[in-house]
Amino acid sequence: MNHQIEIGRLLRAGTTGFIAGCRVNQLDAPSFGALVRAPLSDSYQIYGLIHDIHIDDDGLVRQLVTADGVSDEVMKDNRERRIVPVEMSVLAVGYEQDGKIFHLLPPRPPLSLDMIYLCNDKDVVRFTEKFGYLRHVLNAKDAPIGEVIAAHILQAGKAWKMESGKHVNTEGWIEKVTQEVITLLRDDYPTLMNVLGALADIS
Amino acid sequence: MYFSPNAATILHKCSMPINYQEIYTQIKQVGQGAKERRKKKEESQELAQRLLETYSSQVDFLRSKVDSAKTADANIRCAVPLGEALASHYPTPDSATQATLIAADGSQSIADRHSPVQFCVINVGAISMKPNSGETPSVDVESELFFGDAIEENGLTTDGGVALRRDLAERSVIERLSKGLSAPVVSFTDGTLEIFRAKDIDNPSMYRNTVDAYISVLSRLQGRGIISAGYIDKPSSSLVVKLLELTQITIPEEMEKLRSTPPLKYVTDRWLFGYNNKLFQLLPPGHRSAIFKIQSSSEKSYKGVLELHFFYLNVGTQGHPWPVRVEIPRWVVDDHQQLDLLHAVLVEQCRMMGSKPYPYLLHRAHETAVVKNEEKQQIEQLLSMELRKNNEELDEGSNKQSAKDLKGRTRM
Repeated sequence: MNHQIEIGRLLRAGTTGFIAGCRVNQLDAPSFGALVRAPLSDSYQIYGLIHDIHIDDDGLVRQLVTADGVSDEVMKDNRERRIVPVEMSVLAVGYEQDGKIFHLLPPRPPLSLDMIYLCNDKDVVRFTEKFGYLRHVLNAKDAPIGEVIAAHILQAGKAWKMESGKHVNTEGWIEKVTQEVITLLRDDYPTLMNVLGALADIS
Repeated sequence: MYFSPNAATILHKCSMPINYQEIYTQIKQVGQGAKERRKKKEESQELAQRLLETYSSQVDFLRSKVDSAKTADANIRCAVPLGEALASHYPTPDSATQATLIAADGSQSIADRHSPVQFCVINVGAISMKPNSGETPSVDVESELFFGDAIEENGLTTDGGVALRRDLAERSVIERLSKGLSAPVVSFTDGTLEIFRAKDIDNPSMYRNTVDAYISVLSRLQGRGIISAGYIDKPSSSLVVKLLELTQITIPEEMEKLRSTPPLKYVTDRWLFGYNNKLFQLLPPGHRSAIFKIQSSSEKSYKGVLELHFFYLNVGTQGHPWPVRVEIPRWVVDDHQQLDLLHAVLVEQCRMMGSKPYPYLLHRAHETAVVKNEEKQQIEQLLSMELRKNNEELDEGSNKQSAKDLKGRTRM
């Protein structure tokens, strides 16, 4: 059985995306741009890209920052005991039904408290073999598109590299996906420049 | 709208919550009285300063005045000096000692006769922390539900009865959590160490039983050497001021004067120990006052090592004094190490909260304990479902509450 990395549970969801929450001590696993999945049943799961991770403050935290120094115990109390989850915003980019991957918006969103998992390298390679999912990212209004694309390509590129010894045709995946992004944004010069600027940092 | 010819009153036919015209006029009248109030306050404060300067070191004389007053009126409530001058003050001790701190706070949801289901919840939140250990504090919640006959049997039909039970629960949770902990353990709750009998408690035996149970808990805490305290933020009482007032009356002839026209009417302990005091500052930041015993009618219940005492503590900063009152039992007073540790812990806890000093752990205990309205509604729903499942008849909510719950105007 594949080792599944749980990164949180669903707080709220819609067709185009969902918000997952996790405790601060679960924050090691999820990262910006990571591909995640939310299985709803044995044969149906939704894929998404993390486009925002934020931690809200509250009155107590704002007051604590005015003190001279915050002790380790107070920091741990706030991170581990107070009910302030880290929230991850996830953009829906496709789904899998009965073993087949679709780069369409999912027919049904995940439900409250559904577990969210980080995709392993194999899942990443399977999902990103074709590039239809990129249009969801490029059309996202509230996400930093360039940064999400760059972070995703960096992480997915590593997954492809890891899988390269397993009879997977990994040659030039990063070049191919970059070319796809350029093609999709050929009529949107400002966004294209923004994305290429971010991609330049990972090349 | 129409105008009354005899007064500048506009009577509204439309529904407004407040008659602001009336309120505004009254507010202006309050403002007009400010000069007179200030004059009276300043005169009282100057007298308080003179009395303090005169009698601060005359501790034996002050104690004799309290003894005489007690003979004339056993219910008199005031401070009794031990041996220190009234104006004594002590800096924050160094606290290198590793201690476990426990704070507890209680919250309640009392039975509402307008609801379909009558129930009461007492919720106590407690948090334990070991400073300088690097360990994550642990949080504990104890929730007790009372339904049906249990509400009346436990004296929970009034706010006072519920508060009494809650205070007992707070100290009991501390007692439970402190079991097995190695000393030193410092525990504190918000409010007085003494539990009060509110005027609406109409069940004397319930009150007595609760006080007895509370005294038992305190005794067990004492037996284990647990430092126990009650922290009172923005104290309104004037126990030390009352002590000074005793020097201005003839006892017993003028005892009634203490109630009707107290000599220091506009002076509070909070002012005496620093707040808004432009005449003198008794307590530098972090300093505590002398220890005082509490003279009150409840001394019959709190005897021996449980005798109630207090000190004032300035948890504020230079230029922004913030005196608070800390109530402690005699066993803490008698052990200077325990007293010093408590002093240091409270100052440190208050500093954690930055610009609004208050013990961090007490705030966290409150946060953990508080019963929100939506939680109360959830409990009501769960209880209703369970009762229906077991074929028990349910009442309806009152129409009065239903009308109150109607939504306000909405806008498309």
